[in-house]
Amino acid sequence: MSARWPERPATPTARALSQTYKGVLKVSLLLVATYVVAQALSGFLPAAGYRDLLGLSNRTAVWIVAELHLMFAAFVLGVPIFALITEVVGVATKDRRYDDLAREFTKLLAMAYTLTAVLGCTLLVLFVVLYPKFTAYMHGLFKPTWALYLTLIFAEVIFAYLYWYTWDHLQGARKRWHIALGVMVNLWGTALLFIADAWVTFMMSPAGIDEAGNLTSLWAAVANLTWMPINIHRLLANVAFGGAIAAAYAAFRFLAARDDAERARFDWMGYVGSFIAIGAFIPLPFAGYWLGREIYQFSEQMGVSMMGGGFSWLWILQAMLIGSLFFAANVYLWLGMGRIPGAERYTKFQVPMMLILTLGFLVWATPRSIIATGSEMVAMGGSHHPFLGLFGVMAAKNTAVNVMILTTFFSFMLYRRGNRVAVVPWAAAGKAVQALAIAAAAVVVVGYGVYSYYVPSIVRIGYSVYQVTAVLAAMVVFVAIDIPLLKGAREIGPIAWGRIPARAQYALVFLAVTFTWLMGLMGYIRSGIRQHWHVYGRVADESANAYTMTHGDATLIVSGIVVAFFLLVAAVFFMAMREERKA
Amino acid sequence: MLARTFLKIFIFVLVVVGIYAYVGQLVPQFEEHPPKTRTITAETDRDELSDIGQELLRGKGGCLICHKDSETGNTRGPDLRQSAATAASRKPGLDAEAYLLESLREPGAFLVPGYPNMMPSALKPPANLTPAEIKAVVAYLQVLGGAESTAVVTVEDVEQSKRVAKGDHRGRTLMDQHGCTACHKVEDEGGEIAPDLTGAGARFEPDAILRKLNDPAAWTTPNFEEGLMPSFAEAPPGDLHEIVAYLSGLAGKSYNPTGAASPWSHEGVRLGLVIFIANGLMLVALAWARRRERREAAQ
Repeated sequence: MSARWPERPATPTARALSQTYKGVLKVSLLLVATYVVAQALSGFLPAAGYRDLLGLSNRTAVWIVAELHLMFAAFVLGVPIFALITEVVGVATKDRRYDDLAREFTKLLAMAYTLTAVLGCTLLVLFVVLYPKFTAYMHGLFKPTWALYLTLIFAEVIFAYLYWYTWDHLQGARKRWHIALGVMVNLWGTALLFIADAWVTFMMSPAGIDEAGNLTSLWAAVANLTWMPINIHRLLANVAFGGAIAAAYAAFRFLAARDDAERARFDWMGYVGSFIAIGAFIPLPFAGYWLGREIYQFSEQMGVSMMGGGFSWLWILQAMLIGSLFFAANVYLWLGMGRIPGAERYTKFQVPMMLILTLGFLVWATPRSIIATGSEMVAMGGSHHPFLGLFGVMAAKNTAVNVMILTTFFSFMLYRRGNRVAVVPWAAAGKAVQALAIAAAAVVVVGYGVYSYYVPSIVRIGYSVYQVTAVLAAMVVFVAIDIPLLKGAREIGPIAWGRIPARAQYALVFLAVTFTWLMGLMGYIRSGIRQHWHVYGRVADESANAYTMTHGDATLIVSGIVVAFFLLVAAVFFMAMREERKA
Repeated sequence: MLARTFLKIFIFVLVVVGIYAYVGQLVPQFEEHPPKTRTITAETDRDELSDIGQELLRGKGGCLICHKDSETGNTRGPDLRQSAATAASRKPGLDAEAYLLESLREPGAFLVPGYPNMMPSALKPPANLTPAEIKAVVAYLQVLGGAESTAVVTVEDVEQSKRVAKGDHRGRTLMDQHGCTACHKVEDEGGEIAPDLTGAGARFEPDAILRKLNDPAAWTTPNFEEGLMPSFAEAPPGDLHEIVAYLSGLAGKSYNPTGAASPWSHEGVRLGLVIFIANGLMLVALAWARRRERREAAQ
């Protein structure tokens, strides 16, 4: 603790190590403080199964802190993934801009790590103080994983700090060592995520315990039915979320830029951030289907309660959010085409694509049952509208979202070839096969969508896999042809980075806000479908807050969390800019 | 410029979040409360039993997620208003009450034509109904269908329900599997050749019980024959920890079956060790770097 390190180390290695040690020391102190506070409060407060936090309900307090911690954790786990990818792209293409961009992304991490750790430690204290009995139960079950989790926190901190502080030193021939550090950061980060997911998913789909709740197999408790789907879902979501926040940072810097060079730099950063966000977002619904399927496998009742019970209305909100994301992503791309010479060739596709997106959005946002008066119900012939009710079921919604994904992918591909003209002799045939792949996927998606109406829900949810596979296959075929097709393509003109309307930057901010709100909402649904159970079907929540609140109240809390998150993110941005000015 | 841009973006964020929050207020608003717990005894009369059954069906049982018991509701499962009337003719040899009991305990035993095998047993999570509660639901279904309730809760149902609600500790099950209860009595069940273990957790610390299981010759309770008890040193350690946890639990002591006997298992010690190792490693690395730095400076 009393170690001395040189104030101005002469060698970059010593400097990087001393900065890293500062980080380790900071985390050590934070953990010791957390332990001491938690122990002191546990000893001081009278014994109880549940406690409130100074009048605020225990559930709301834990919810707010847990969600903020989760959002920052998603950011600090997502950013290193695409920073590493960008860095590798820079090495592969020998384009220095990618390395600078990866560095710019990573710069945002240092402060975000501190906030994540502080929120995580606060959450731990809240668990111990507000839910002492249940926390002790979970701690007893997962005891060995806690020690591993702690070890991984230090591994993550050490490698993340080294990754940042050795950036300038490990260039040129030493670059491979820097990339190796980046790989380690991501490995430890992913392992951390997987452990935390084991705790969360055990509460949803418990396994490895007997009727009385005693542990029979730790591995079975960890590798429960929803563990791997959540792992994959969160990994992808973290990348998408990190990309969206980084793009919002770029948008902010673009709008505050003083000259064209700065505008061009942050326009490009915003584009890459949004590209990563949308790229990771496109396969996200597929991971969601897998998770939904596993929930149904675990408990059909839980699945039905999630999709057809009280929580079904929140999926209408989700539809609105994802529909808005698709719109914003496409609008950003279309506005971006304005700075690409030659992209005007594809303007004709924008209106039909907008129509498809609008139709998809309308279908997706159509509720199954409508709150109606007695006379309205008589007029409709029941609680479901005879025609519109058909669009309220998952069969229609799965179809709509797959068509929207396909459309957005197509939009991306048009953007990509904006200023390029294929010159290979088989260009016409290649484009025809690409069009055929898209059309075939659309037929499969719509075909299965219609057929889904005639089969039970457990069979229907399986069809979503075929729809997803068709869309993915079309994407793979399209890209596999596109790469050789555009190799050596004639360039109409260079992209005029920085020459994009300000409203495109607001589209990026909109993407980030919507992603964040969506994350808050989905987190609530995932947790809420346990209803009055801490561990579904096994350990009941016996507190006064075990009820499921109204959707209005839940969305107000989610909104408050999102605003708080953006205020904290703004602090991270300002800190990053202050460091930049110092440098 | 920076502050102005931040303000503009922040207002934009507030507007977007505000719209989403507003839409959240437009969807139907309702709260769902956990089911109330009602006590069923052998004396509970038929009307009350049927009332309790209705509460269970609409609450704890979660039946209305798929079925309906009124004009509006879900149609994933059969309409419950018809179930009592058709129950007697569903399966040969089963009267209405027996059929309804079976359909709740083992829903897959007979499927109503046109409906898939998707219902979990009412005895299992998430419904977790006790045998007495299942009879209450049957009573309600009979009344709902216009018939007279025939379901009667017996003393045996009530006792069984208490056991189900409590849940058998895994350590208790393992004592049966390893033959402990052939000689020992625990919680009024088992043999009498060896001492009653119900109070063992109060008399001995967990590590002493564990030692006795591994080395039965360590000591023998006075007035009982020496050398009768076999060693369980070859039994899976996890099983022994579970048995110790169960016996200690009977005395109100908490014992973690994942190995509380080791001081390393204390969370404070674990945390301290991890911090010590991480800081130690960093200090060694830093010392190495500084040494190299000095060497380079000297050259």
